[in-house]
Amino acid sequence: MEAFIKAEHVSFHYENEDEHQVVQKNVLEDLSLTINKGEFVAILGHNGSGKSTLAKHFNAMFLPSDGKVFVDGIDTSDEEKKYDIRTRVGLVLQNPDNQIVASIVEEDVAFGPENLGVPAEEIRKRVDSALKAVEMYEYRMHAPYKLSGGQKQRVAIAGVIAMEPSCIVLDEPTAMLDPRGRNEVLTTIEKLNREKGITIILITHYMDEAVKADRVVVMDEGKILLDGAPREVFSHVEILKKHRLDVPQATELMHRLKSHGVNINEMPLTASECIKQLEAILK
Amino acid sequence: MVRDITLGQFFPGNSILHRMDPRMKIILMLTLIIFIFITFNFFALGLVVATVVVIVGCSGVPVKLFLKSLKAVIFILLFTSVLNLFYGSGTALWHWGFLSITLAGIYFAIFISIRIIELIFISSSLTFTTQPTDLTDAIERLLKPLNHLHISVHEIAMMMTIALRFIPTLLEETDKIMSAQKARGADMESGNIVQRIKAMIPVLVPLFVSAFRRAYELAMAMECRCYRGGEGRTRMKQLHYSKVDFYCLGAVLIIVSGVILCNIFLPAVMR
Ligand SMILES: Nc1ncnc2c1ncn2[C@@H]1O[C@H](COP(=O)(O)OP(=O)(O)OP(=O)(O)O)[C@@H](O)[C@H]1O
Ligand SMILES: [Mg+2]
Repeated sequence: MEAFIKAEHVSFHYENEDEHQVVQKNVLEDLSLTINKGEFVAILGHNGSGKSTLAKHFNAMFLPSDGKVFVDGIDTSDEEKKYDIRTRVGLVLQNPDNQIVASIVEEDVAFGPENLGVPAEEIRKRVDSALKAVEMYEYRMHAPYKLSGGQKQRVAIAGVIAMEPSCIVLDEPTAMLDPRGRNEVLTTIEKLNREKGITIILITHYMDEAVKADRVVVMDEGKILLDGAPREVFSHVEILKKHRLDVPQATELMHRLKSHGVNINEMPLTASECIKQLEAILK
Repeated sequence: MVRDITLGQFFPGNSILHRMDPRMKIILMLTLIIFIFITFNFFALGLVVATVVVIVGCSGVPVKLFLKSLKAVIFILLFTSVLNLFYGSGTALWHWGFLSITLAGIYFAIFISIRIIELIFISSSLTFTTQPTDLTDAIERLLKPLNHLHISVHEIAMMMTIALRFIPTLLEETDKIMSAQKARGADMESGNIVQRIKAMIPVLVPLFVSAFRRAYELAMAMECRCYRGGEGRTRMKQLHYSKVDFYCLGAVLIIVSGVILCNIFLPAVMR
């Protein structure tokens, strides 16, 4: 597998304007992480563990105070390559309302390629295919404020896709959405990963979303606590609990049964797996 | 209720006016507006009135909507025309105390009120038949020469674009905050003006705080999408002049020369 994003011993602290605060707490602490091409990685961690801060290191919005980040082999601290990096790594933020610039869907999607100086006919093609990829093509002439939350977030994703990135980082894209909107966005993300081979980094608080990833990275206090396949990471129920993190409900249920002496060999991740195991036990 | 607001007054359709290039539309409308104010006799005025009637007829927008847009200025309209009625000099046709009406005064009143009505009708026909975003686009392209004077036209246009985009969002938010404050017992509907303005403070403060947060996030999102000002930026939507634009240009040129000829060769009743 080929490494796409490489963070090497990254430390980061916010430059505080408040001079009285002498102690500069590191938000990221000697963090190393490699994301491979085409991977679907979920990043978990409780509030303030530094997930958003890390995400902004991936597209050169932030530069490490210490250490290095490489994107597709380019050092993010290279000022001249800043926009190169941002076309390779697109960032989608939590609140769709605050990332949409234009008052017509297709014009907003065109915003990124327009900034890159792409010729008009090429932009047209990219916008159409991006809107089709997120299944919002019929809404191309609509006003964004009339769309539902899930639709708005898909427009925001289309805006990033139109820049033809190899990787999309999504910082809690479903946090402000209802269950239906969450489902729409997640399906879109999975499809992009599978069909277009786009590397996905999904920051989330929802365990059922994390379970869908190829790999789960758990952060705590600016460090990486666990890193591995979902099944492996969620088998460390005790460690996760100690750090105030949830596990999927199915895993939680089986974990409790196990601690009460029920014989279970493998921890389930999804409800359907859980049902199968319960059926086997109850027979 | 706020969700349904339509910005500007765009009325969808497929008339000649809708199909015109917004740049040409702006230029021609401005020309006509200028010529409304340099009509000095009834023939010239009549020509412009006829043009406006044709424009309104061609726009495919119900006349009712045009009349509605007059409502906002009806007071100014009456006030200025009545005032002008007494303003003229010459022999009085009628007088009462120090007030007197002259023939010049009557002409003045007629000209002024017709000019205001035409002004409103022409500008409305522009906003009725053009999307706000197309207007912004056209203004950006028309003002491009100002770049040579070191005025950043792109930035002005970007500000207008963002304002257009965020007005509905902020209106919705105002609505939400007002409901939240009402739920906490705030009274916004009673009292005199001073009390009502005071009652708006608990709405405005959170609104501003949130607007600044939004601005910060939007700037961040724009930077993530490689925004770096107008330089090297291309546009997806290209504007093209078509046959319709040149026909309209020709028509307006003929009307304008007609107005000029009327002004020169026929006696003026206005200064
Ligand atoms: N602009 C800033 N200036 C100073 N400190 C900040 C700033 N943004 C975040 N922090 C601090 O950095 C730490 C990590 O924040 P970050 O936003 O990366 O966390 P997070 O994991 O994304 O949390 P959440 O789940 O709430 O989104 C927090 O302690 C926060 O207070
Ligand atoms: Mg965050």
